[in-house]
Amino acid sequence: MHPATSPAVTAQPARDHRTSRRALRALVAAVAVLPLALGSAACGNDNAGGPSPQSTDPVELSIFWWGGEGRAKLTEQALALYTTKHPNVTFKKTWQANQGYFDKLATLITGGDAPCIYQIDDNYLTEYADRGATLDLTSYKDSGKLDLTKFPESLWKYGVVDGKLAGVAFGENTQGLVYNKTLLQKNNLPEPTVGMSWEEFITWAENVSKVAKVPGTMDPSADYKAFWVWLRQQGKDLYKGKEPGFTEADVAAWFTLWKGARDRGATPTPDVIHEGNATDITKQLVVTGKAATSWVWVNQMPELKKNTKDELGVISYPGNPSAQWGRASMYLSVFKNCAAKDVAVDVINFLANDVEAGKVLGTDRGLPSNLDVRKAVNDSVTDPAMKLSIQVENELAGKFGQAPQVPPKGHSTMRSELIKAAENVQFNRATPEKAAADFLAVVKAALAK
Amino acid sequence: MALTTAPSPTVEPQRPARAPARRRGRGRGPRREGLAGYVFLSPWLLGLLGITAIPMLISLYLSFTDYEVLTPLNEVKWVGLANYRRMFTQDQSYWHAVQVTVKFALIAVPLKLAAALGVALLLNRERRGVGVFRGLFYLPSLLGSSVALAMIWRSMFNREGAVNGFLGIFGIQGQPWVNDPTWALGTLMVLAIWQFGAPMVIFLAGLKQIPTELYEAAAVDGAGRMRRFWHITLPMLSPVIFFNLVLETIHGFQGFTAAFVISGGTGGPIDSTLMYTLNLYIKGFTEYEMGYAAAMAWVFLAAIAVITAIFFSTGRYWVHYADGDDR
Repeated sequence: MHPATSPAVTAQPARDHRTSRRALRALVAAVAVLPLALGSAACGNDNAGGPSPQSTDPVELSIFWWGGEGRAKLTEQALALYTTKHPNVTFKKTWQANQGYFDKLATLITGGDAPCIYQIDDNYLTEYADRGATLDLTSYKDSGKLDLTKFPESLWKYGVVDGKLAGVAFGENTQGLVYNKTLLQKNNLPEPTVGMSWEEFITWAENVSKVAKVPGTMDPSADYKAFWVWLRQQGKDLYKGKEPGFTEADVAAWFTLWKGARDRGATPTPDVIHEGNATDITKQLVVTGKAATSWVWVNQMPELKKNTKDELGVISYPGNPSAQWGRASMYLSVFKNCAAKDVAVDVINFLANDVEAGKVLGTDRGLPSNLDVRKAVNDSVTDPAMKLSIQVENELAGKFGQAPQVPPKGHSTMRSELIKAAENVQFNRATPEKAAADFLAVVKAALAK
Repeated sequence: MALTTAPSPTVEPQRPARAPARRRGRGRGPRREGLAGYVFLSPWLLGLLGITAIPMLISLYLSFTDYEVLTPLNEVKWVGLANYRRMFTQDQSYWHAVQVTVKFALIAVPLKLAAALGVALLLNRERRGVGVFRGLFYLPSLLGSSVALAMIWRSMFNREGAVNGFLGIFGIQGQPWVNDPTWALGTLMVLAIWQFGAPMVIFLAGLKQIPTELYEAAAVDGAGRMRRFWHITLPMLSPVIFFNLVLETIHGFQGFTAAFVISGGTGGPIDSTLMYTLNLYIKGFTEYEMGYAAAMAWVFLAAIAVITAIFFSTGRYWVHYADGDDR
């Protein structure tokens, strides 16, 4: 080797060692300090409400929601309406499809880039409220800055978690059984009716399968909202505080009911049912033509209609419709550490209570929460699918029962576990009893966490 | 050695003259030089620290905490080994995911390597248009872990998909592949095997390195085709096989995109496609248990390290390095 370079070569290990040790120390320091820095940054501005809505200083509010392009257009129009009244307030709008929305929202909040206003639903409201990601809006409601007086009481209360108003119910909906009207008429089959029992409904579906050669109904045994309604009809509920409101025998009975329906040919094959369980609203079996009925929320009617040429009808789920309730289809919440909380609340107040904004938004997120706005929208709406969902929900509203509690933390695990358990029965990998026992054990553990 | 020492007489007189001059000019010599090296490396070093090393160390720390995505970091509680204990003793879905992943790797990786080697042997002969075929066979692995490919796969292996249409021509009753828990994982394996292009190209390069004299000599001695394959091609190719095996095994364990897209992010039907990384993602990003997910990631890293170490320790019994014989 070269004589002149050898000192450098021999010096190398020692220097390397020093540097790496120093680097390591710096690294450890950085790791130790970083969480603290992030933590303190996140809890910086806690009590101030930021600029008031009356101020004219420029404010940019970030807002994040899930939905399709139609919703985006309507929301942007309504927000533009606010900006024309408050030219100093502009919006940073972000939206995306429902799948992956809550992954993204959680990541944004953790990354310190939380949107000031975000859309959320009852699957996650408790989860976010529990972890302090939502601003308690009670004081705004009490001072009248957030006007909820025109809301049905059960509706705004469906946004209360542990005594705190965690979200403003933004739209009301209820469970809806959607059926393919065109298919039934073509085969001279009767339409399902409100209040028919589950047994009658399954017999009806069996007949549809036989005559129309299309499975009469999607199998809803994996569908938590159908299970929920059925439970309420048995005098039970999905939750009782932070525990399941049902027993193993209830789940087994529910699975057995649908096993019977499958054996009679009222439902599609397990793989098609899985398709229905796994896909979003645009590919529900009633629109893909793989079943004559699907189990949805009433406000999803316009979205369903967009994906089929056939005419659709919608009624309540089988059994006594008083088991259904006016559910907040979603909420708008304010992030706890938003820099302009007062303005953010004012925006939500505007979107919920202003008649013009309400007319723009229509029933896209569910029936407007404010009853005056709802009436105005009802009178002005032109889209036939929207019209139908308003009409159905207004008819059912008189029969609604008491709203249940907002689902506790762990609800999303419950939903995915129900799908697994039901599919285990559908693919004949477990008896209804075995699947029910496994399901309840996992759910109890998830809720206790 | 002969090649590298040849030009040295012309370089040698310059270096000693230049190096002291620089040392005098800047004062501190090799230290300075090293520093300059780090300065030039700094963009990469910053990236390594900021994007890889620090987040990894933080995730190691978080794996001992009850961190949930929405918890402010200053409220995170240290829980010691609780996450690891839960993983090994309580969480059934964890062991189910391990099973799925091992099954996937055990079947898909050898088949993929066999397919890669087989096609590489076919494409190794010089023939008209062989370049086009090499390109075509390599194409699927360029699409790599693409979401679009997984979506196409999902629609192809549907009950009404193209695969069943094709089987129908021969009167074979198709399956609802991706929607049936018995077949869904197999569908993912076929997708993985089909993307054998990358190891194939490496095999091709390896095959080109085998001296033709060996084959000629063996042929003269009367060795048949199979014999030449077993006693020349395989031993001479063993370092490349080893390399591909290690790489593809790690790759196989990490399979995520296809499982995520085909199952709609759930690992369904009935957890049949719940790969380790998908389970980790669900725990961390859907159920928000990030501390637990971090623990899962570290166990995963350790497991892959152990498997790789096992490969390396068995390697000396079957990997044959030709150049070693010269020393």
